[in-house]
Amino acid sequence: MKRKINIALKCIFFTITVGIILYATTIVLERKDSLYKYADFFELAKKDQIDVLFIGSSHVINAINPTVLYNEYGYTSYNMGGHGSLLQSTYWELREALQYTTPKWVVVDAYMLEKNYRYLDDRDANPDEDEVNTSVEQLHLNMDVWPFNDLKVEAVNDLIQDKSIRREFLFNFLVYHNRWEYISEDDFKSVFGDESKNELFGAEMRYDVETSFTFCKEPEKGEVLPEETVGERYLKAIIEECKKRKIGVLVTFDPFNPESKDIIAANSAGAIAKACKVPYLNMLNSDVIDIYSDLNDHGHLNAVGSTKTTKAIGKWLKSNSKLVDHRGDEAYAYWDEKSDNFYDSIRDDTTDEDNLISKLSLLSLGEYGFVLYCNEGSQVFTDKSMEHVISGIADSNMIKTTSGPYILIKDPKTGKTYEASGDGNLENVETAMGHMYYQPVEQNFRLFYEADDQDTNYLYDDAHASADIQIIIYDKETGEVVEHEYYTSKGGRYAR
Amino acid sequence: MTFISFAFMVFLPCAVLINFIVPIKYRYIWLLIASMIFYSTAGIGAMVVLVLSMLSVYATGIYLGKKKKAKLVFVLCLLFNLGILFVFKYFNFFMQILGIATEGAYGNIQLNNMIIPLGLSFYILKSVGYLIDVYRGDIVPEKNYLKFALFVSFFPQILAGPIERAGNMLEQFDNPKPIDFDRFRNGFLQVLWGYFLKLVVADRLAIFVKAVFDAEDGIRGTISFVAILFYTFEIYADFAGYSHISIGIARILGIDVMNNFECPYLARSIAEFWRRWHVSLSSWFRDYLYIPLGGNRKGTIRKFINILIVFTVSGLWHGADFTFLVWGLLHGVYQVIGSIVTPVRDKITKTFNIGRASFSHRVVKTVGTFILVAYAWVFFRADDIMQAVRIIRYSFVFTPWKYVDGSMYQFGLTRGNFLLGVFGILLMIIVDLVNSRGIVIREKILCQGLWLRWIIMILGIVVTVVCGIWGPGYDVSDFIYKQF
Repeated sequence: MKRKINIALKCIFFTITVGIILYATTIVLERKDSLYKYADFFELAKKDQIDVLFIGSSHVINAINPTVLYNEYGYTSYNMGGHGSLLQSTYWELREALQYTTPKWVVVDAYMLEKNYRYLDDRDANPDEDEVNTSVEQLHLNMDVWPFNDLKVEAVNDLIQDKSIRREFLFNFLVYHNRWEYISEDDFKSVFGDESKNELFGAEMRYDVETSFTFCKEPEKGEVLPEETVGERYLKAIIEECKKRKIGVLVTFDPFNPESKDIIAANSAGAIAKACKVPYLNMLNSDVIDIYSDLNDHGHLNAVGSTKTTKAIGKWLKSNSKLVDHRGDEAYAYWDEKSDNFYDSIRDDTTDEDNLISKLSLLSLGEYGFVLYCNEGSQVFTDKSMEHVISGIADSNMIKTTSGPYILIKDPKTGKTYEASGDGNLENVETAMGHMYYQPVEQNFRLFYEADDQDTNYLYDDAHASADIQIIIYDKETGEVVEHEYYTSKGGRYAR
Repeated sequence: MTFISFAFMVFLPCAVLINFIVPIKYRYIWLLIASMIFYSTAGIGAMVVLVLSMLSVYATGIYLGKKKKAKLVFVLCLLFNLGILFVFKYFNFFMQILGIATEGAYGNIQLNNMIIPLGLSFYILKSVGYLIDVYRGDIVPEKNYLKFALFVSFFPQILAGPIERAGNMLEQFDNPKPIDFDRFRNGFLQVLWGYFLKLVVADRLAIFVKAVFDAEDGIRGTISFVAILFYTFEIYADFAGYSHISIGIARILGIDVMNNFECPYLARSIAEFWRRWHVSLSSWFRDYLYIPLGGNRKGTIRKFINILIVFTVSGLWHGADFTFLVWGLLHGVYQVIGSIVTPVRDKITKTFNIGRASFSHRVVKTVGTFILVAYAWVFFRADDIMQAVRIIRYSFVFTPWKYVDGSMYQFGLTRGNFLLGVFGILLMIIVDLVNSRGIVIREKILCQGLWLRWIIMILGIVVTVVCGIWGPGYDVSDFIYKQF
């Protein structure tokens, strides 16, 4: 008998050991995208430090930056947007999140409202194979992190019709066990809860500038979707869910370069918001962003566009909600830290950026002061995209009316912008670098110096005489030059 | 339900646990119930065929036990069971041949949408073997229908063997062994090794093999050669994996089942290969076909004819297709030629004073046999004869740079997966080399201390679960031999 008990105990202990090791293995092998995105969410939800939840698709991920919202208004928020998320995915994402926190406001973006198929994997209803695959694959980003419970089963059953694919979401080791070839240090860190986290509270920034555009045919003014779509049903469900829990809802349509169907969907979102008596912020047809400089691609905003959109929503929240400004509150030091980190990263990205147009775009955020000089004959003066970006930063049309030379000084410390073109000069302009003088002399020679140090001519260097574009980036407080870059515009490539 | 399904992962522990609890003398009843539950998942049609076959053989056995010279009954039962096999497996092939032979005049009838009952080829051979043994008087017929039914339908064996002999199995039902912990651990390790071979090695190699064999215009050169080698190991890992799982489960359940593989790729001749490969089938054909045909007792020519008959039947047993026919015939021809040139080989050995026992000579013979077997497998794997011939032809195109220029990783396996497949092959070779010296690694592991034992077992489980080819994204292939 004693031997039998001994054997039984051994078997039980062995089974438990195998179970623990396999469990740890599942954690190591799990794709970390979802955990990476939501790691901070759980921590902050536990502390009840999330006032606003932003939900929607990748448009939200790229459009809303919680660190900017905190820095500008002191409102705490989390970006729950999911790549390729249809509104049904967004609905369940919200339901999952509400298990952990009850925010004061939910901001829901209505992009893809026109989608009219129930299941993400319904290939008959949606013949676009890539879109189906993306929706299903990206649902892992939304779903993996949530623990297995009744709600998750309900969500997966509602979103996926294929039972085998449902199992992939409920037991994702089925999918991830073959990641053994790709595991990294971070995968092991996650066993001890020490994994990398999204530093922007769920947001992701992009840094390119879209320079090619096609504009859609405007639909009839106020045209709405002809029949109620699945997307609309779930938008209403989101609004209902929030109302039921007494959470404020703001429906938005984040800005991008829309197609006709998007404009119609935006109109329909407005109609639903009106019918449900909730506020609606349609940023498609407002001047929140500059479409020529603030898009990363046709559908997604870059960091500059994101900053502008976040500020616009922050402004609306300030006017219409009673959210508390948490800046300066000791308990919210983590938010300060993350916000500072973001602006540090923007500064690093600005100096690291090779692409001139992206660099100028980042400089427009005002984290550095800078001087842009374009010599006579530079291709900048025939490059419409570049002209538009510079014109936007300068808030003037001078760049479009000159063939050079041209100088632009943007000084965040004084908040002033100075420009000169052709034979025009600048005299004793106040900047963080000091009181500056600019004087064009001849094709390849010009003067740019500080009043107290006339021997240092910033805009001339024998070694870079052939470069037709120069950017001097300086610390916006001290005026210390942190970078001086020379570009040649030949061929429109803006090579350093 | 297959051995690599989640349903089986739930079924097996339940079956084992209840088997432990059930009183030893009633264990066969539980095992029969478990076997019926297992087989019922193949569908009601398959179940009906199985029961009909079992009833016919059982009743005939009892009858033969009473009336020794009931040849007619014996032949009728034999024809009935072989008839089932023919209808389900060979009818369409037969009609196809008839159509070709009569230039379309006959052979138009095809039984479409007919699914071969799972394990049919295996349990029919088992039953026929039993019937012949009873007829010959080698064994007494089993009177207990439940025990007989368990012999035929024993779930670890029913899908793909080993094709056990009644004498070995029925005796164990009458005198069941107590299940001790050592037997359990031994069986568990064997099952684990089987799953490793199937999921980590066979199914990984299968991805590469499928990509190359199915390439529309074929792949010229080294890659085809590697695919042939990979398939040679894939089918071994696949079938040996299945057999290890089957034998291991049987051991856990208190039943000892014959070994099915004895390091076949270490054979030094084709005849030896067949003494080592699928032993239960080879010995079945030897005992119930080759010897009754006269074996080697009726002269050299007759012996050659008998060999060709046996291997043709063996080929067709594997599948009703010309590719299997060629594969079987090829092995028969290998052996006939091997016998014919034996005097020449002996002369060469003597003339050049080659030591038959020398290591180099043994290696040459082993490698030579392996190559012959490997190229024969191409017919086994190919969809048709033309594809097989093309793959073989392409494998001789000289492109050795493909080994190092990254080309190997463009056929479904990433570098890591390719190397893991190669590692699996090396491990199989090492294990076979060790086994061929009479060392059973399982037993060596079980002699170790608890910690080392556990580490090996847990590592085996983790590697199999993590590196195994399963889950979405992979078309998890069933055991190759299950289709026969």
